[in-house]
Amino acid sequence: MLEIKPIFNSLLRSKAGALMLLVQIALTTMIVSNAASIIFDRVQYLSQETGYPEDEIFSFSVMSFDKELDLTQKFEETETMLRNIPGVKNAGLFNAVPVSGSGSATGLGLKPANERGQDSRSAYYMADENALETLGINLIEGRNIRADEVIESQTRDVFPKVVLLSKTVADELFPAGDALGQTIYFGDMPLEIIGITEKMMGPWLKDSRPDNVAIIPFVGASTFQRIIVRTEPDQRAAIMRQIEDIMLEDHNKRVIVGLRGMDEAKEIYNAADTLMLRMLIVLIVVLLSVTALGIFGLTVFNINKRTKQIGTRRALGARKSAIINYFLVENIIICLTGTAVGSVAAVFLGQNLLNFYSLPALDSLYIMSTVVFVVIISILSVIMPASKAANISPSIATRSI
Amino acid sequence: MLLHYIDLSWRSLKRTPLVSFLMILAIAVGIGITMTSLSVYHMMSMDPIPQKSSQLFAVQLNTTDDGTNWWTEDDVPMQLTYKDAMALHSAESPARKTASMRSGFTVHLNNQDLKPFLSEARLIGRDFFPMFDRDFVYGSTWTLEQEKSSSPVVVINEELNERLFGGLNSVGKQVYLDDTTFTVVGVMKQWNSHTKYYDLNNGAFDSPEPMFIPITLVAPMQIASWGNNNGWKHEAISTFEGQLQSEIFWLQFWVELDSPAQVKDYRNYLQAYLEEQGKLGRYSRAVPEFNLQNVNEWMEYNNVVSTDNKVLLGLSFLFLAVCLANILGLLLGKFLRRAPEIGVRRALGASKRQIFLQHLVEVSLLGFLGGVLGIAIAQLGLWGVRSTSNEYNALATMDISMLLAAPTIAISACIIAGLYPAWLVCRTQPAIYLKTQ
Repeated sequence: MLEIKPIFNSLLRSKAGALMLLVQIALTTMIVSNAASIIFDRVQYLSQETGYPEDEIFSFSVMSFDKELDLTQKFEETETMLRNIPGVKNAGLFNAVPVSGSGSATGLGLKPANERGQDSRSAYYMADENALETLGINLIEGRNIRADEVIESQTRDVFPKVVLLSKTVADELFPAGDALGQTIYFGDMPLEIIGITEKMMGPWLKDSRPDNVAIIPFVGASTFQRIIVRTEPDQRAAIMRQIEDIMLEDHNKRVIVGLRGMDEAKEIYNAADTLMLRMLIVLIVVLLSVTALGIFGLTVFNINKRTKQIGTRRALGARKSAIINYFLVENIIICLTGTAVGSVAAVFLGQNLLNFYSLPALDSLYIMSTVVFVVIISILSVIMPASKAANISPSIATRSI
Repeated sequence: MLLHYIDLSWRSLKRTPLVSFLMILAIAVGIGITMTSLSVYHMMSMDPIPQKSSQLFAVQLNTTDDGTNWWTEDDVPMQLTYKDAMALHSAESPARKTASMRSGFTVHLNNQDLKPFLSEARLIGRDFFPMFDRDFVYGSTWTLEQEKSSSPVVVINEELNERLFGGLNSVGKQVYLDDTTFTVVGVMKQWNSHTKYYDLNNGAFDSPEPMFIPITLVAPMQIASWGNNNGWKHEAISTFEGQLQSEIFWLQFWVELDSPAQVKDYRNYLQAYLEEQGKLGRYSRAVPEFNLQNVNEWMEYNNVVSTDNKVLLGLSFLFLAVCLANILGLLLGKFLRRAPEIGVRRALGASKRQIFLQHLVEVSLLGFLGGVLGIAIAQLGLWGVRSTSNEYNALATMDISMLLAAPTIAISACIIAGLYPAWLVCRTQPAIYLKTQ
């Protein structure tokens, strides 16, 4: 019925062309499945939730160069001024900005640092009692920091007594889930866990523990001070435009730098991944088109070469569908062999990428979907020329060239 | 003869416009994609200072306890402590060496005309300029006396000089960094290096800093690093003096060593230095450990070219291979269909060699056309790269070597793809085709 035997024989007679198509399909399967796996991994990474209302938050840094100025007092006034701007929900001084790629981390332990107990690496934000509202993060257990627990100091001689932890780091330190009320150590300083927050990201999305975060009620205004502001979403752009003027009016011996929305900061941090994602998408789209064109071109060529043969078959009584079937089956034989070879090569390439570049392991699902996809594309690119071939008139066979 | 072959090839291309177009498109797309990632790779991995890269060495000292892990491949910390960096900096030999650190200041002229702005600065020794081949437009580096006495002097680059002083000779003029008055001693020629190889800690492709001041100002002015500060053990540090005396790593160190003998001497010197420091009980380490790596080794060690770029480059070349397989298939078809014509030419006296060469010329022409179109596609691709990420602005460009590489790769790829079809067609037996005619 499918006439596999004669098709196979005729393939063996013109090996080179078929072999090239096979190589092409094998390489395509290998590249596309691996690229798709990387793409999926990046899409997942790029679309993860940070926990913050990113479109409401922006941050900037203030460089103060007035040595006479009492920074702590001045920034206290600045904070109040910022909070009073219409449209601003809350604002505050922070030592680091979430998802910006720059910040501080430490090992939080169950014992003081010099006794080296169990220790969980965690990013930390130093801010006052407004931190949670400014970041738009909710508590799931315990209470927020009280104003009287916030330490304002230029040195760390006096240190806070309490801390808020994100759920992830709390669970890591206390796997039993009884973190609330327990004491942990920041260096040698004991801190009582008074609240546990929902998931929030630290400054580094690429960290192996990106959502280990502690909020420490400490404000140490510095000459290079980061400030985070949360606004109504529709007013953020307008407030961001005015903020430099407002800040300089407040005090003129300072420079405002790094003004950007949280979504923009995240975009900058992730620029390399976005780039990789786009390049890979372009690569596989173009690759599949080239392969499709290749199949198309080769079928057209085969048909031209066999015009007489097709005419003869038709004259001897072959139906149009038989002609189409012939080319389809021929193509599917090549395609299946190619994808089979390609799948093996894909696993091999995936292994190497995993070993040498620690890219995510290649799931067989990607290979299977790629194979299905390649087969469909190859069938689609063969149908058009094949149905043209079916229309070759039997009279051709009786004519000489 | 060559011209004749090119003419024949051109006619042949015109005879089958669709297939020719497909082939040129395939090679062009392959070259376009490959050249996009190859150009970025080339710019990233390019030797930034070819004339001196084997004489400049980055120094790493392992002053941690045995068993301390670091994120480098050999567990040696990337940077140095202040104590060690300054000890090496003020040592007698070698002739040129410098500790180095990134920081920044608010720059202003203490008047209303210029709005204060923030600018990065690098703290270095005066040897930095000759070491990294920096030339001056006006003035020169600070003197050894100025460096030793921690004088507030500054070297600025042309761009900053334009902004502050309208591009005039500003040597001797005053500029405020935060609240300290600095005297300009030199205006450095603009430094357009796309790899910041002398400090790869924060952004390997950032621009060089626009200001340079003596490293000896760190202690008196209490200048903090804008780069990484990495500790490895618990130290209670509450003052800046404490930071200076601590075991925290936060400075880079470079030396210039012109001969293998000098390298050997310096290795011995570092070995002796570490043994001496180990005896002081700063750390417990059985065998002193240090690295001395030249510019290219240093870039490799720091993984300047990210794995993403390597993977992308590899995939691009595989893609080019697909395009080649594609072309090979099409060429087979195209050439074999021409067998009757070749049969006649062979019968008229053309040798196999001539037929073979003629077809190679034809595929080269294909490659050339594809390569030129490929450059256009690559430019489009590079534009896409630049618009995705600012970091790639200086990197996603084709320099002259890449512009030449594109058609070269395209033509050689096409010749490889054309060898087999050309060989097949030149073996045509004239007799068979003469019979049917």
